Amino acid sequence: MVNPTDLETQLLAFLKREVFSAQLDVTADTDLVAAGFDSLSLVRLLVFIEKNHGLWIPESEITPETLQSVRTLAARVAALLNGQ
Amino acid sequence: MNLTELLDAAALRFPTKAAVIDGATVVTYANLVARTHELANPTIRAGQRIGISLPNSADYIAATYAVWRAGAIAVPVPVECSAEERSHIITSLGLAGIITPTGFEKFSGVPVADNHNLNIAFIRFTSGTTNTSKGVVVTHETIRDRITAANKALAITAADTIVWILPMAHHFLVTIVLYLSQGATIVLVHSPLARNILEAVQRTGATILYAAPMHYAWLARDKSELSLATIRLAISTTCALTQDVAETFEKRYRLPLRQALGIIELGLVCLNTDGPWNSVGKPLPDYRVKIEDGDLYISGPGFYDAYANPWTPRQDEWFHTGDIAKLDEAGRVYLLSRKTAVINMAGRKVFPEEIEAVLLQHPAVQDCRVYGRAHPHLGELIEADVVPGQTGADPEQLRDHCRQHLAAYKVPTDIHLVPAVARTAVTGKLIRHG
Repeated sequence: MVNPTDLETQLLAFLKREVFSAQLDVTADTDLVAAGFDSLSLVRLLVFIEKNHGLWIPESEITPETLQSVRTLAARVAALLNGQ
Repeated sequence: MNLTELLDAAALRFPTKAAVIDGATVVTYANLVARTHELANPTIRAGQRIGISLPNSADYIAATYAVWRAGAIAVPVPVECSAEERSHIITSLGLAGIITPTGFEKFSGVPVADNHNLNIAFIRFTSGTTNTSKGVVVTHETIRDRITAANKALAITAADTIVWILPMAHHFLVTIVLYLSQGATIVLVHSPLARNILEAVQRTGATILYAAPMHYAWLARDKSELSLATIRLAISTTCALTQDVAETFEKRYRLPLRQALGIIELGLVCLNTDGPWNSVGKPLPDYRVKIEDGDLYISGPGFYDAYANPWTPRQDEWFHTGDIAKLDEAGRVYLLSRKTAVINMAGRKVFPEEIEAVLLQHPAVQDCRVYGRAHPHLGELIEADVVPGQTGADPEQLRDHCRQHLAAYKVPTDIHLVPAVARTAVTGKLIRHG
């Protein structure tokens, strides 16, 4: 079982390291799209999750609800990984 | 001529009409023209090359026209560039200044670039910073010819509203300039999410959607009740569609996806208006195509005028695209593969040589080869084989090294440590295929 909190920590670290500028104070509750999360950021996030967890997030799951924040994203990805 | 004349003429006809809608902000044609005057820095001189480094916005458009109004040349410097990539564009093209979100920064001591008596409007690098990347030079007249030719197929009018998702630093001439010359309205959508795109279409009654296959993949699987009922043309560009996306999208919205072939050196040359999903369509009325030994060649108006660095004027009547293609009996073009090693990652073209040059700067790298690995949803991912030096190499450290020197999307997804990479015996050149 994947723990959503661990996943949240991992995804936040990835986004801070590889997607958002170091000047941005991104937290687990930051509104991702408002912070500048664009198409290429989304692609890199999807590739990161695929590479580390073997899951390609289905297109139907790429919604404003899922991508509202790192917290909502981690919860949804954990649910998908845990077969829920 | 100057392309600002086309914007000014549209503003005279439609002063109060929306030129750009960005969220709750509506920029009318009169507002946009006024903004081009506000942004016209008095120190910018005719013939100077000026960088534009702004995110998608009405100001990106206004800044470009402000540069043109001064008789200067607009050079996109994508915001995602690393400091090194940005510096390369500035020095190799001899930029006299750059427009950024914080204003105009003038560079001193830059030698005046030779524009070879051409009325140049725009120079854009094909991609990257290696010698395989070329600064494509186009004049005001060339761009006018391109948009005239493109509009014979697109038929953009003032009645059109275009939902805009792609980066302006990579797509501007046969899109934004065309739309504004016709008095159309551009709706900026900053979110990549299908729901937000659909809401923008719904809110504005948009008629044209211009996006990459990944956007259409997300749109195709949207589960909301929102429709694309007002869209008359959904164009897919930047990389090949997949059958699944084309079919699912058409079924979901009862609207066929239309692939187009746009080439930085030529403009929009093919648009699929009536053919099977996997064709890029017939050449536009003013263009001709031919296939020789499997290679696609195109001839027509709006050809690039030169490559900038080193200055190489265009010579041939036929442009060799580097695509392997075939034609059907109706004359539609099908792209089969590319001859060059360029990697297409979700629509962004990346030269492997550029990433190899960065990897080879690292002391732990003895040799390397960068290549695209096919990915079912993204076209290709960037990967690298690295031959470590005697002290070994850490793939994550190498990715960090790439991140310091390259735009983030060019950092290889995976770096594999290997004992050797294949090179030809005689010249030592990398063997890229097979």
